[in-house]
Amino acid sequence: MKRRRFLETSAAASALAALAPAVISRARAGDAPDVEGAKKEGQVSWYTAHFDTQTAEGVGNAFMKKYPGIKANVFRSTAQVVYQRLSQDMRAGVAECDVFSSTDVGHYIHLKPSGVFLEWTPPNAANVAPAFKGLDPDGQYYVTSVGLICITYNKSKVKESEVPKSWPELTDPKWKDQVSVGHPGFSGYVGTWVVEMRKLYGWQYFEKLKAINPQIGRSINDTVTMLNSGERTIAAGPEATTLESAAKGNPLGVVYPSDGSLLMVSPSAIMKNSKHPNAAKLFMDFLMGPETSEVYVEYFQAPILPGIKPAAGAKPISEVKTIRPTIDEITTGIPEVIKQWRDTFGV
Amino acid sequence: MAELSPSLIPRAARLREPDGLRARLRRLEPAVVVWLLLIGLLLFLVVGPLLMLVVQSFQHEGGAGYTLENYFAAFTNKHHLEALENSLLLGAGVAALAAVFGVPVAWAVSRTDMPGKDLVRVMVLGAFVTPPYLGAIGWILLAGPNAGWINRIWMALSGAEHGIVNIFTFPGLILSIAVYSYPYIFIFTSAALDAVSSEMEDAAHILGSGGLRTTLKVTLPLVWPAILGGLIISFLEAIALFGTPAIIGLPAHINVVTTQLWQLFEYPVRAEVAAAFAMPLLGITAVLFWVQRRTFGRKSFVTITGKGGERRLIKLGNWRWLALGYTAFVSSISVVLPFLVLAQAAFSRAWGRGFSLGNLTLSNFHYVLVEHTTAGRSIIHSFTYAAATASLALLLALVVAYIVNRRLLPWSGVLAFLCVAPFVIPGIVMALGYYAAYASPPIRLYGTAALVVLAFTARFLPIAYTNSDAAMRSLNPEMEDAVRILGGGRLTVLGKVVAPLLRRSLIGGWILVFIPATRELSAAIFLTGPDTQVMSVVLYELSGEGNFEYVAALGGVLLVATVVIVAVSSRLVGRDFMLRRG
Repeated sequence: MKRRRFLETSAAASALAALAPAVISRARAGDAPDVEGAKKEGQVSWYTAHFDTQTAEGVGNAFMKKYPGIKANVFRSTAQVVYQRLSQDMRAGVAECDVFSSTDVGHYIHLKPSGVFLEWTPPNAANVAPAFKGLDPDGQYYVTSVGLICITYNKSKVKESEVPKSWPELTDPKWKDQVSVGHPGFSGYVGTWVVEMRKLYGWQYFEKLKAINPQIGRSINDTVTMLNSGERTIAAGPEATTLESAAKGNPLGVVYPSDGSLLMVSPSAIMKNSKHPNAAKLFMDFLMGPETSEVYVEYFQAPILPGIKPAAGAKPISEVKTIRPTIDEITTGIPEVIKQWRDTFGV
Repeated sequence: MAELSPSLIPRAARLREPDGLRARLRRLEPAVVVWLLLIGLLLFLVVGPLLMLVVQSFQHEGGAGYTLENYFAAFTNKHHLEALENSLLLGAGVAALAAVFGVPVAWAVSRTDMPGKDLVRVMVLGAFVTPPYLGAIGWILLAGPNAGWINRIWMALSGAEHGIVNIFTFPGLILSIAVYSYPYIFIFTSAALDAVSSEMEDAAHILGSGGLRTTLKVTLPLVWPAILGGLIISFLEAIALFGTPAIIGLPAHINVVTTQLWQLFEYPVRAEVAAAFAMPLLGITAVLFWVQRRTFGRKSFVTITGKGGERRLIKLGNWRWLALGYTAFVSSISVVLPFLVLAQAAFSRAWGRGFSLGNLTLSNFHYVLVEHTTAGRSIIHSFTYAAATASLALLLALVVAYIVNRRLLPWSGVLAFLCVAPFVIPGIVMALGYYAAYASPPIRLYGTAALVVLAFTARFLPIAYTNSDAAMRSLNPEMEDAVRILGGGRLTVLGKVVAPLLRRSLIGGWILVFIPATRELSAAIFLTGPDTQVMSVVLYELSGEGNFEYVAALGGVLLVATVVIVAVSSRLVGRDFMLRRG
């Protein structure tokens, strides 16, 4: 038992270590954000793909409560849509976005060489859980949100004992017409999940999935709708949003797969050409602060600060076996799997 | 007698001055200035972005140099071609089905003594104000293969293993769009039918034709321009929709042009290929437009004349129950059933729990109206932009329709084409054209309300124009000639005779633009900024996230507010004196 625990923990730790380069020392100490300057600027525009609109609005409202006089404009959509929007802005030479939060780490790898991100270390960056520190050695983007992709199911249609316990079981023919997934062309979560499944089980995994006719949505949160409606029975879904919906009384449950739940680590960055640099810095710092983690817990998202307990019914990430592709695999993989997905599924 | 003294020369001759430029300018009608201004506006609204789009389709990625490679990339790709084919089929299917729904209902309401007409009109209005993507969600609840209510009831009643309807199919997609498109055909057809006096039907009866034959051979052909206009609008709207194909088409594995264009804007962005891919759609408009002109060029559809006319209703006898039944069927699938399931979700804590007292709540409304930072403001924005769009579009359309129908300028046909062309460009592509042309320096409209309103105006100009054109055709020039003979200029004609006579059509046209503008999604999704957020985008985003209760609540607010606004404006307008209502 002890050995198993050790193996699990070290597997988790090494998976997390894969994304925390040891070169933390290069991160520069940042100046504290200028609250007065931020208040003069009066607003901050946040492009985010993290969590769902409700949670994003919750964070925005909490920010406005702490700093009255600074308005948080929240634009929440799926990762590829947000990225498209930002690319469009950049092509038009327009600086609309102040803080960019995507769930596709590849976006940051693509954009960083163009020098569009501000290099700055928020004071709160030192307080996040060690596993989430140091994502970018140059301090241009930081982890501000984490989540898990698990196997989710509709309790009123299937018993927990019958639900697949590992990812390959999800493609079993007995689940024909009963599975729901998102689309990697929209969602960063789904894109990362597809990359990881391809890595572990090859693209045959998706040929098998196609054979059982899954319902394909857009966001990974679409799976929650599909399960709620009873249209589908099981899904590769987001732990947090599913639990959030279950807490409202919907018959939803979560299973943590034995071969590992997918750990999503989502960064945020400040745009260098931001029109509200002080407000942006303040907001970025806020994202890594205690108020935000408390909002996360309220909406069943995982907190990124140690010492804050997750919501009832959600397991702390440190206790779950997690798997994750490397940053390079995500960066090259997501565009590839989007194309492969379209060829296989036709949409 | 070599010269006449000045007092003997007629006044008009004395006033004739030498032909200099200033002299000619002084003789210019004020109307011409207005024409020129409006033509300039049309160029800015339609030609500018279109031109940018065409230029872009020939550009290399990144901007430098010209090439045909975009066209190769766009049209040698199997997925792209399939998407194009799907779009065309979808458009044709939607237009046909919408006509099947709309024409009989319009005829029954306008020309027969079917009971319950006011209720029917309310139902049609309900279908019209419903955003297609909201209706699509309602339809998923009704006809999802496993959990749709229709299927559940069927399985319970008949003990079958599977349901009988599946919304996630091509016919399902067509149905879910057609039930919200048929109001266009209804409105055009019934407005035209309302104006047909019974004299021609009487003539047919006198000559021995029975009721149905008269209807099919005399009445309906008289309103053919209106029906065709409605068909074209339905077709074009269907191929330009983004929301419903994303919500229903995607799970059904149906890819259409709009969703394909969306994919071309994923990273890495291939805007140039997208521009090339959009070109055939432009060609389709040209063809449709040409067909319409050819079919109706010479024939006369004049029904509004200077002489009075009476419109009598056809007595259907027992057939009116059949008519009512059909109308009730159309209303229930478009309005009643989807609204029921959406209302259930709007008032539920968790709609998965079904109908139960413990599940009732108002908290969803509280969330969307109070807690959500952008939803409340987006409601106001949607309505203000829509009103501005409708006013601008209708003004422009009326003037252009007048110019075209009375042939006031050479090449007026080109103007007409420009007015109709934008509709075939999917909203996304139009938005990108606007983005490319006007968002960045030097014009810098990005993030402003003006950009949204202008793009919407261009997008809905075709509806306004088709409506104004059909209305203009029904007007016999004799009344305008009377005004001019009595000394009025063109503007007087427009303002004091044409507009009042066509007031019903114009108000109808305004509402026809206002309502789709409030729920426009595909153009809005690219052009709205944080300060100019609109409801359709907020709804679309919420729908992708499992927050179904909020979608239903916000959608409900949109619907109620729209209905109130429309009801108020209809009341204010009153009715046209010449057409007695039976």
